[in-house]
Amino acid sequence: MGILDVIGPIMIGPSSSHTAGAAKIGFLARLIYGKPIQNVEITLYNSFAKTGKGHGTDKAIIGGLLGMKMDDERIPTSFEIAKDQGLEFQFILKQDLEKHPNETKIEIIETNLGENYSISGYSIGGGNAKIVEINGMKVDFSGKHDMLLITYLDVPGMIGYIGEILGDNHINIAYVQISRDASIGRAMAILKLDDFCTPDIVLKLCENKNIVKAISFPRLGGYLS
Amino acid sequence: MIPNRIRITGLTDAIQKMKEYGIPDLATFFLVYEAKNQVLSEETVLSQMEKALDAMEESIQKGKLKANITPSGLIQGGALKVNNFLAEGKSILSPAFTDVIYTTLAVAELNACMGRIVAAPTAGASGVLPGAFLTIAKNQKTSREKTIQSLFVAGGIGEVIALRASLAGASHGCQAENGSASAMTAAALCYLSVSDPVIVESSACFALKNLLGLVCDPVAGLVEVPCVKRNVVASVNAVACAEMALAGIQTVIPFDEVVDAMEQIGNSMPSSLKETSQGGLAVCNACKRYCL
Repeated sequence: MGILDVIGPIMIGPSSSHTAGAAKIGFLARLIYGKPIQNVEITLYNSFAKTGKGHGTDKAIIGGLLGMKMDDERIPTSFEIAKDQGLEFQFILKQDLEKHPNETKIEIIETNLGENYSISGYSIGGGNAKIVEINGMKVDFSGKHDMLLITYLDVPGMIGYIGEILGDNHINIAYVQISRDASIGRAMAILKLDDFCTPDIVLKLCENKNIVKAISFPRLGGYLS
Repeated sequence: MIPNRIRITGLTDAIQKMKEYGIPDLATFFLVYEAKNQVLSEETVLSQMEKALDAMEESIQKGKLKANITPSGLIQGGALKVNNFLAEGKSILSPAFTDVIYTTLAVAELNACMGRIVAAPTAGASGVLPGAFLTIAKNQKTSREKTIQSLFVAGGIGEVIALRASLAGASHGCQAENGSASAMTAAALCYLSVSDPVIVESSACFALKNLLGLVCDPVAGLVEVPCVKRNVVASVNAVACAEMALAGIQTVIPFDEVVDAMEQIGNSMPSSLKETSQGGLAVCNACKRYCL
């Protein structure tokens, strides 16, 4: 696992899985959504549901959604800060043996569009977490790479188009994963990159009318977040 | 020649590779190990370890600021009570020894109160390294450089446990959390005085052996009872084991085999005693009113 994982992470207690990992899921969800969040419904499953309150899992997720890293000392007061910043939230507790013991589903309610955006992730211990589902599409990433998430109309040639623009900008792709939702004719490409895809390259990508949404964010600083 | 990636199977292998690569001591070995394996410069790795040290020192200060009381009421400012007891001249121990207890409690309680700590190796055992190692290092007026080096030895011991067994209470019980923290701390404490790997290994062996079989049975699933005071046991144990090893007592069983024993014990522990709060202290009658 590495020496700096043994002596670390620096985090808000009391639990690396139930507090630090939960904050990381919230933080990643904010990056994935890519816009300020106003209203959110959060489901805590299994152990998160049973002992989450005592471990501050709820405060950690809200903190993460507000952009706090796992060592941010504002996490214990994140509910008050959410109120000040106009973030409405509610928690639902569920037991579901099909889910991971420390899983959460973050459903962002888009009041204007009447369409929700959901992100699921789970905490895997030691402050590490994974995002496993975005809007019903299976994904698998943890924020260790520079990320590019592209939602597009599921037509031929899109991956080639994306790859070419990244290549032109000397960005190497470490890993690509594609999920599709046939019912709405959309697909999502999750790209793990060796370098950050800057906003100007994102704009260039979006010139293609088949691209619905493109979100880019840099890798989390491994040690602190 | 040092390869681009360093793979070790245990502490014996680490010590052998250290000699093979011509590296003078364990602290440098684990620094090089981390830099190579994470593809970072040694300066970056050192500065990140220094950040961890800063955070540990801050956690000591914050944990001692006031009575730490948790919302559950299970933790009621124990650190402050120990300090007051010492200040009143009633302590039955030497002040240095009581300081280890006081500091360990302060950090473990701060963790329970959602304070900022360093998980070393876990949040549940975060009081041990600051409480025992940093307290004694400070008493000995250890340089910052030496303190950081010793943290690499502690990290190396934890890494060996992670490789051969686990550091998680959910998979191996409290022996994997406070037991590991105690072994890491004992090794770091020895390294303050001597770099001889035989002595460092012996101290880590004693510390882990003494806590083998310790289960994880947290009341109401919280990191409070018995976790906070088990941090103190791990600290006091680390100090005693470092003292014994420095005095020349040698381990009969190599560290790798002690870790293998922990792995085997962890695997035969029922899940009710591995962080599920379904057994042990967690199901005592006296604890039922705290349960969620």
